[in-house]
Amino acid sequence: MSDLLTLYHLQKRYGSRAVLQDLNFKIPRGSIFGLVGANGAGKTTTMRLILGLEKADAGTILINGEKVHYGQTKTNRMTGYLPDVPAFYDYMTSREYLRLCADLTHVANATVKIENTLALVGLEEVHHRIHGFSRGMRQRLGIAQALLNDPELLICDEPTSALDPAGRAAFLNLLYSLKGRVTVLFSTHILSDVERISDYVGILHHGRLAACDTPARLRAIYGRHQMALTFATVAETRRCATHFQAPWHDCTVTITYQGSYAAEARQVFQDLLAVKLMPVNLRRVDPTLDQIFMEVTQNENPTRVL
Amino acid sequence: MRTLPVFFKKELLETWRTRRFGVLAVVFLLFALMSPLAAKLTPDLLRLSLGTAVKLPTPTSVDSWTQFYKNISQMGIYIIAILFGGTVSRELTDKTLVNLVTKGLPRWAVIIAKYLCLLGQWLVVVASAFFITWGYTTFYFSDRQSPHPIAACLPLLVFGAFFLAVVLFGSTWGRHTYEGLLFTCLVMAILFLAKLLKQAHNFNPVSLIGDNVAILQGNLSLTKLFPAMGVALGLTLILIVSSVALLNKKALV
Repeated sequence: MSDLLTLYHLQKRYGSRAVLQDLNFKIPRGSIFGLVGANGAGKTTTMRLILGLEKADAGTILINGEKVHYGQTKTNRMTGYLPDVPAFYDYMTSREYLRLCADLTHVANATVKIENTLALVGLEEVHHRIHGFSRGMRQRLGIAQALLNDPELLICDEPTSALDPAGRAAFLNLLYSLKGRVTVLFSTHILSDVERISDYVGILHHGRLAACDTPARLRAIYGRHQMALTFATVAETRRCATHFQAPWHDCTVTITYQGSYAAEARQVFQDLLAVKLMPVNLRRVDPTLDQIFMEVTQNENPTRVL
Repeated sequence: MRTLPVFFKKELLETWRTRRFGVLAVVFLLFALMSPLAAKLTPDLLRLSLGTAVKLPTPTSVDSWTQFYKNISQMGIYIIAILFGGTVSRELTDKTLVNLVTKGLPRWAVIIAKYLCLLGQWLVVVASAFFITWGYTTFYFSDRQSPHPIAACLPLLVFGAFFLAVVLFGSTWGRHTYEGLLFTCLVMAILFLAKLLKQAHNFNPVSLIGDNVAILQGNLSLTKLFPAMGVALGLTLILIVSSVALLNKKALV
């Protein structure tokens, strides 16, 4: 699988503040890439550089092998962009706005394409002006305009941050449905969203890509293996926590282990029998991306890059 | 080049739907209707308030045209500055250009389309007001004191082209509408101050809205204002090119 987007040694400063420092990553064609990071980590700046809206201090960005130049829009024919807060002309209807976008991008058979795209985002029955649109409707129109010209690369900047849970789920499903056809780069600080749909995850920290890999491999490298033992009483919980020197909360002790779960669980059971303790529940805790994120961002040195 | 008509069409829709063109048309229509009427009725109104013994000159077509040019140069252009002072800055603060620029809309097309749309509106409202005023003036005053109405209007049209470029540049330079307005007011203040230099009179764009009545009556040849027209058109070009350069440097997000 070839790479659709490549970033080499990208650097960007705002005054004395280094926003991006030697940023490198590639996105394979047709995959979904989740870019995560705290506020100010450089996610939006990275996207703006890819779109040619900002000038990089150093480095190269290639989309489909073509170099991105600041202020020029040649590579934008291959991209679709959904800003974090998409802005529209409120006096237009969604159809008029999409017609404007279609005319700018020379979409063939625009009327049919507009209707199909509106149906895809669930706005086909909406005929009033954008002025009366809810935040969710604006987001859906945003994705419609971003997809209208069948982009090879779809860039979404924190697309789910202001949506309600139902809206978020619908939006993620829509993004996931594009997998294989469109290469998606989306940024977020909602890690569960990334976990849900991404093929690759990049963790930006202080302008550097602190980690970048598939979610499974990130889990394998950075995830802490844990098991949770739940007891019937607080007294038992406290005794268990003291025995294993492990943290506890609400009658549950969390034990971190190395090696295989089966061997470790067997050993824990033997120890519990020896001290005459028996949990009412024992389960393996899979590492979450939140945990991986904390692990990676606490380790300043960039470790593994795709 | 194919993007220019697309954005121009959007500008036309915007000025129509946001009712800016409507407001402008109504204001200029009022100027057109009121100028001859005010010239006709002012002596009667003064007589009513000051008494019949007061001797007042009989109004002529010149009074009607004087009123027309005063209304446009003292009110009309400032209404335009208020209505369109945020034409670029509003797009930047609302971030409405981001989607379009990332779809391939060049920034120069934004400036050129906006200027052409402003110029089109100016020409339509001024020309309409001019012909309405001409008609009513001819109806009310059958004198021959205003032999050159078209020549008198030409400098006003050229000044409008320059003034709109000032408004556009101010709007591109300023972060908010009021900063653009401030820039426009500053330019006008400088031009009015420059009027004090008698040698520069024929080169000052502001002469284009000061000598119209003299041209109308045949007391001043239109050719005398050619240098001012040249300066105004030259500055217009410089302001438009500078607006493009300025927008190219602006962050859209």
